[in-house]
Amino acid sequence: MSKKGFRPDVDAPEYKGHYAPYDIIKEGTIAIAVVAILVLFLSILFGSPDEPSVTVKSWANADPIDFATTAINEMNGSSITASYGAPYNTNGSGQALGPLKLAQWTGVTIPVDPVKDFVLDPLASVPNDSDLKAALAMWRGASASQQTTWVTNYTNADPKMTFSNGIISVPATNVGPLPKMINELTEMARSGALDQALITGKGGYYTTDYTKPLLFIADSGYLPNLAQNQHLLGSQWGMMNETNSYPGQAWLWLYTFWYQVSPFSSSANADVQVWAVMMLLSVLLLLVPVIPGLRAIPRKVKIYRLIWREHYRNS
Amino acid sequence: MAFLWSLASLISLEGKGHYIHWHFIYLSVANFIVILLMVLVFLAALFVPFPGRASRKESK
Repeated sequence: MSKKGFRPDVDAPEYKGHYAPYDIIKEGTIAIAVVAILVLFLSILFGSPDEPSVTVKSWANADPIDFATTAINEMNGSSITASYGAPYNTNGSGQALGPLKLAQWTGVTIPVDPVKDFVLDPLASVPNDSDLKAALAMWRGASASQQTTWVTNYTNADPKMTFSNGIISVPATNVGPLPKMINELTEMARSGALDQALITGKGGYYTTDYTKPLLFIADSGYLPNLAQNQHLLGSQWGMMNETNSYPGQAWLWLYTFWYQVSPFSSSANADVQVWAVMMLLSVLLLLVPVIPGLRAIPRKVKIYRLIWREHYRNS
Repeated sequence: MAFLWSLASLISLEGKGHYIHWHFIYLSVANFIVILLMVLVFLAALFVPFPGRASRKESK
């Protein structure tokens, strides 16, 4: 049998020095106790972020015109949700990794029809409003082309939209029942009823599925403005930031870093591309012990000799 | 009870955050401080002697 040579990356020389007792349970207990005391002390000293959550109600009260504009964008199909594609609908290509159409392969797993889910169904749940019922009946009875004409006329006049005394007004003609529908929806949103209507669409009273209100709010201009003010946008390294002056998730620096550099910063598929890069880097990290060159870094950098300097000084 | 409330959030971080902007790097001062503290802890782990080393030396 031939004797193999000593391979510095892989083989460890036999240890011939002295041994010292080491109690890992004791060390672990001390570490947990120190961290617990630190957490308690720092939480008393600094508290924690307490930013009020954004709801459809808070959004519609803070900026009713933005709410009404978003509602009409849901109806004309120009909102992010309406044109996203899978997993919500088939109106867009969805996230793809080069030729791999990942979103399309998984299909529409969370079906969201913005016109029906965000506008028509909530309005249909309003009781005792015969005018609204007539408006909805008019909408449902119209042809698709008629509906498109109404929505287009309303959308074109949208920049001149005003809000006064709780009423949304748009100087437009041939818009069918849309003024009544958008007004009622805004009123519903401002009262808080739309929040409830959107989260109880399925699953009964105690559902915690906030998908629809979150998507609706995400389509607004209001939420991105709030996020920008708090430095939480993707283009502001927002993934690692926290509200106000609190420290955030600094460990996400590498994930959010990719969003800042080309080609990811301008890619419509940045989410899946950045995910793929991070998965690749994670696999590389996992395989460091078997990758020649990479596995030699600790041996060449010699930081271990600093940590165990007493041992190396004596040996 | 009022005493306990007065202990909460002795240092308020609810004010507007400050950010370091350098080329495409955009880092909050709070995160920068945390990163700095992590580097300090790492350096301390490297250079601060292990506890009990002196007593081990004496017993040799």
